[in-house]
Amino acid sequence: MLTYRAPIADFRFLLRDVFDHDGVVAALPPFADAPLDTVMAVLEEAGGFSEQVLLPLNGVGDEQGCTYRDGAVRTPDGFREAYAALVAGGWSGIGVAPERGGAGLPGVVQAAFEEMACSGNLAFATYPLLSAGAASALCAHASAEQVERYVPHLASGEWSGTMCLTEAQAGTDLGLLRTAAEPAGDGTFRLNGTKVFITGGEHDLTDQIVHLVLARLPDAPAGTAGISLFVVPKLRPDGDPNGVTCGSIEHKMGIRGSATCVLHFEGAVGELVGAPHAGMAQMFTMMNRARLGVGIQGVGIGEVAYQTAVAYARQRLQGRAPGRAHGNGAGADPIIAHPDVRRALLRMRALTEAGRALAVWVAVELDVAHHHLVASRREAADDLVALLTPIVKAACTDNGFEAANLAIGVHGGAGYITESGVEQLARDARISQIYEGTNGVQALDLIGRKLPLHHGRLLRRFFHPAVARATAPQPAELAAVAGPVADALTHLQETTIWLGTAGRDREQAAAAATDYLRLFALTAFGDLWLRMAAACLEPAAGDAAFATAKLATARFYADRILPETAALARAVRSGKTSITAMSDDAF
Amino acid sequence: MSPIERAAVIGSGTMGAGIAAHLANAGLPVVMLDLGDAATKALAALPKRSPPPLVSTAAARLIRAGSLEHDLDMVADADWIVEAIVEDAEAKRSLFRRLDAVRRPGSIVSSNTSTIPLAALLEGAPAGLERDLVITHFFNPPRYMRLLEIVPGDARPDAVDVLEDVCDLRLGKTVVRCNDTPGFIANRLGVYWIGTAIGEALARGLTVEEADAVMGAPLGIPRTGVFGLMDIVGLGLHEQVNASFDRLLPADDAWRAVPDHGDLLRRMVAKGATGRGAGRGFYARDGATRLAIDLETLEYRPAARPPRLPRTARELVELPGPLGEYAWAVLGRTLAYAAAMVPGVTDRPELIDLAMRRGYGWERGPFALIGEIGPAWVAERLEADGVAVTAPIQHTATVSRSRPRDPIDGNDSASLWDTGDGVACLELHSRASAIDLDMLAMISRAVEIAATDFRGLVITNEGPHFSVGANLAYVLGLANVAAWERLAEFGDAGRRAFAAVKFAPVPVVGAVGGRALGGGCELLMHCAAVQAHTDTFMGLVELGAGLVPGWGGCRELLLRTSAAASAHGPMPPAQAAFETIARARVSTSAQEARELGFLRPHDRITPNRDRLLADARAFALELADGYAPPEPAQLTLAGRSGRATLELTAGQLARASDAVTEYDLHLAGVLAGVLTGGDADLATPVPEAAVSALEAQAVSALFREERTLQRMTHVLATGRPLRN
Repeated sequence: MLTYRAPIADFRFLLRDVFDHDGVVAALPPFADAPLDTVMAVLEEAGGFSEQVLLPLNGVGDEQGCTYRDGAVRTPDGFREAYAALVAGGWSGIGVAPERGGAGLPGVVQAAFEEMACSGNLAFATYPLLSAGAASALCAHASAEQVERYVPHLASGEWSGTMCLTEAQAGTDLGLLRTAAEPAGDGTFRLNGTKVFITGGEHDLTDQIVHLVLARLPDAPAGTAGISLFVVPKLRPDGDPNGVTCGSIEHKMGIRGSATCVLHFEGAVGELVGAPHAGMAQMFTMMNRARLGVGIQGVGIGEVAYQTAVAYARQRLQGRAPGRAHGNGAGADPIIAHPDVRRALLRMRALTEAGRALAVWVAVELDVAHHHLVASRREAADDLVALLTPIVKAACTDNGFEAANLAIGVHGGAGYITESGVEQLARDARISQIYEGTNGVQALDLIGRKLPLHHGRLLRRFFHPAVARATAPQPAELAAVAGPVADALTHLQETTIWLGTAGRDREQAAAAATDYLRLFALTAFGDLWLRMAAACLEPAAGDAAFATAKLATARFYADRILPETAALARAVRSGKTSITAMSDDAF
Repeated sequence: MSPIERAAVIGSGTMGAGIAAHLANAGLPVVMLDLGDAATKALAALPKRSPPPLVSTAAARLIRAGSLEHDLDMVADADWIVEAIVEDAEAKRSLFRRLDAVRRPGSIVSSNTSTIPLAALLEGAPAGLERDLVITHFFNPPRYMRLLEIVPGDARPDAVDVLEDVCDLRLGKTVVRCNDTPGFIANRLGVYWIGTAIGEALARGLTVEEADAVMGAPLGIPRTGVFGLMDIVGLGLHEQVNASFDRLLPADDAWRAVPDHGDLLRRMVAKGATGRGAGRGFYARDGATRLAIDLETLEYRPAARPPRLPRTARELVELPGPLGEYAWAVLGRTLAYAAAMVPGVTDRPELIDLAMRRGYGWERGPFALIGEIGPAWVAERLEADGVAVTAPIQHTATVSRSRPRDPIDGNDSASLWDTGDGVACLELHSRASAIDLDMLAMISRAVEIAATDFRGLVITNEGPHFSVGANLAYVLGLANVAAWERLAEFGDAGRRAFAAVKFAPVPVVGAVGGRALGGGCELLMHCAAVQAHTDTFMGLVELGAGLVPGWGGCRELLLRTSAAASAHGPMPPAQAAFETIARARVSTSAQEARELGFLRPHDRITPNRDRLLADARAFALELADGYAPPEPAQLTLAGRSGRATLELTAGQLARASDAVTEYDLHLAGVLAGVLTGGDADLATPVPEAAVSALEAQAVSALFREERTLQRMTHVLATGRPLRN
């Protein structure tokens, strides 16, 4: 049985005490009507929706999965009702501007909603996530008239959306895609081709599905420079089918309630979105948000895994814990008393809360990057988002999977049994490390694209404030956290400087990428823990217990996780040889 | 033959005025004559020309202009008269007859013709002129192009020797003596190469960008390639030279088989697209967009990115496909033509290599290219093409400058050599001539070694530039990750190394040519003496990168302005140093570097870059006897009130110009603080090291400023300063 209460107190703490919501996000012109109190009211409601509507369907959805018959896809029992509740609650369009039919709330609200929805039911959460992505892509790149026709229906949840990128031969390398778009002569196009791994490509939650499709025009140059973006509805305006059919759905390891479809486009009528051949660039502008969304899935899984493991550890009685007082004839202790179980729980908690803080930070900076009135502030925020996006995606999904795995361990044998719910979390979490650019690709993005961009300008958006915080004079309560954070920053600095020269050899950089990203992530988490700890020194009334737990978790992170940065730095700087030297045949 | 002490130039066009300016650069009083008031106007226009033909305003004062109609007797006391009038044999002959009536007996007359044989100039000449007349063929622009071809003909050998010495030692030219054959050496081959390259590109349907990429970097030819070069030279001039070749070359000369491209040139000229002088040629600009011409339609279109090509000549000519075939079609025949120039045009193949290097900027001449590609391979392939192969194709010059021994010490950024006679030479050779930790370590080490094992040390860079200053990419990399301690260490390493240079027990002589900017300039300012090539561009340009000089530049300039100040008190020197650094002044010549205080009166200038190192070594040996390093000086600083005055000056400058930004003013304020003693208000005499400490403090604070980092990023990305 999964246990989950939405982490409202933590969201409030982050927004109020760490990221100054009212001073930063609510100060942006579009969000003047979204002060902290309003936002927290919305989040409490969202938490309730996840706890009461989504969580109960999580096991059922996994057990039944989606079913395919004659081109139609049926979602698991209860999904249709839950979707209706989602629409009724107005959750589909929370991030869409009011003039386009949404609630116009800050991105951080959308992010928090996503995290809670993923905790409750990751498979279900993929449907609204894709719709929000499609709406946001259309708002960014489509004509006003196209936006008018599509976005309000997506924002209301009446229609759903997809992103159709992958083809059998074109996964990570989209330059290889072949779906063709022929001009029909009337301004529209006819699309032909087959897309695979399309999340929500066909289902019974909405009648209309709006597909955003990458395809090639007849005169398109080869590779990624020749890809254009099209909007292709499942149904034509008169309600007739539009030549988009679902050939099958995948049978997969996890998120079984999420329909993963093979879609055939056979003369489907589509409209070009934006300029010809601009598809890749358009996707790039979407990527930061989509990758943040997947990182948040990892946080959501981590949270529910942690809470479930704690609940189990409190009630499961086994053995006598060392260091505890035991009276004569006393029975076994709850396993939460055992240091190694506590280690696992604290690790889950420290990584999950840091991941949440990172996701909120990136979401805040995304809003600043879009809406701040001062260009230099927008640029700085955009830099930070670009730098942290591969980190939030890769590190938070790795941590989500690790948390699910640790939760299985805390459960012991029970964790391996389906009924516990935690083995499903591990299976569900695994995909988040793969889709939207595998975590290996995230690491290459960080090291190969983000580090050299503008001669390293992105780096200083992170390093300057972080180093200043860690090296500033600290009150005694914080010194134990600040010291290890400063050490981690030194490891990251030295490794980054080393990469500045050694990384000119692209093989060297590629061999370093994954370890370097992890080093960066753990260091950034350290900085966030220091900020959170500092915010706990003078807790608001009634928050004393929360602050005590926060400080204790910060201390655990500094003592028990940050030292990994030294090992990672050393691993990176050992160079590529041990990775590249062995011949392919010797494997 | 008496020495040449006065000169005259007849003609004040681009070449005439340029030659007159460069004679003045060498310190020769010059008379410049032309029709009407043309020479007066040309003289007035000289300081405005770019690149600057004059090394200093003082040089301009050595030129007197006059009219050819009334003032011909001004040439009466000239030892050397250069004729640079219209390219017309009869006009020149008529001028020589008029000159003969006024010129000093025994004076030498030279024609700057590029197309008329010496023999033709002498037809019907006054008796004895053949003993005084030579051709001196300058390249444009005369100050900067290093080749000078001299056709001595029948002139008196002693007079030609004196002339060559002046051209070599005072004008700084690489002098190549030529026979009286059309185009002499460089243009004879160059024009053949240009014609073949254009004709083959047309015949093969290549774009100008493709042709220029092939005829450029992989062959060690400047990036302008052939079409870009034509734009610089001007299509008109090229047509003129072609016409003279057509008149003068033998009927069986291979030049006559160059694929026809006359029609293209005529159409371009008819269109007014005659090159950069006209604002457009094969290339043009539309705002920030570079345009290239379509060779068929003659319409402009945005220039394409150059194709990716192999890096070596051999790989290029073996490259399958149209670009490799084009490369061989042009290069192969050009090499064969060069071989056929021996004997006849010259007996010495190495002179052809030298002329192409100095006259066309090729890294390697044709014979060096043959050696690199492989003589047997070249001969075989030419034969297969049916091109006549002559014996000199086997004459392959050696390209690698052989070093007698290994360096004494060295790393990736600098090497220390024993050059004999007790002089060591530290050669700087880092990436992009930037100063990095390796270089600083080698400088310290070189001084250490020189102090015990040598009598003097020369620091130089064999590349085009001495040093562009601290490695900004490295520094910015440290600043981006807030590695403040590492930045401080880098600063300390620089200050240590430069202090070692300044207080070395043996003289350290900087041998500089090209750019010496920022830290490169500061390094030279710490040397006991500097031997500078005429084309030395020195400057403390740190403000453009959002910094102030941090390796002693502020202190050294202050020491110099203090020594030079005529008025009393600490304020005038501070003011002078402030203006030079705040405006990031860069000298356009060694002479100007002296006016700006980057060079001292005892520093010396070498006109000929080939002689720079030898002159610097001699200088070091001259200083070595009884050398004593300077004592650390005391400086009286202007204090807080002085700082306020400097800031006021900066404010006035800002109001006078929109180009000055708020951050410029901030930087000026920081600089003013360093030059006047900073917050400490060091108004009493302080040891010079106190100013170094202020520099270090200021730089370390600026590294934390976003706008400084923006400036550094911009300099790295564009090579230009940013005004933010």
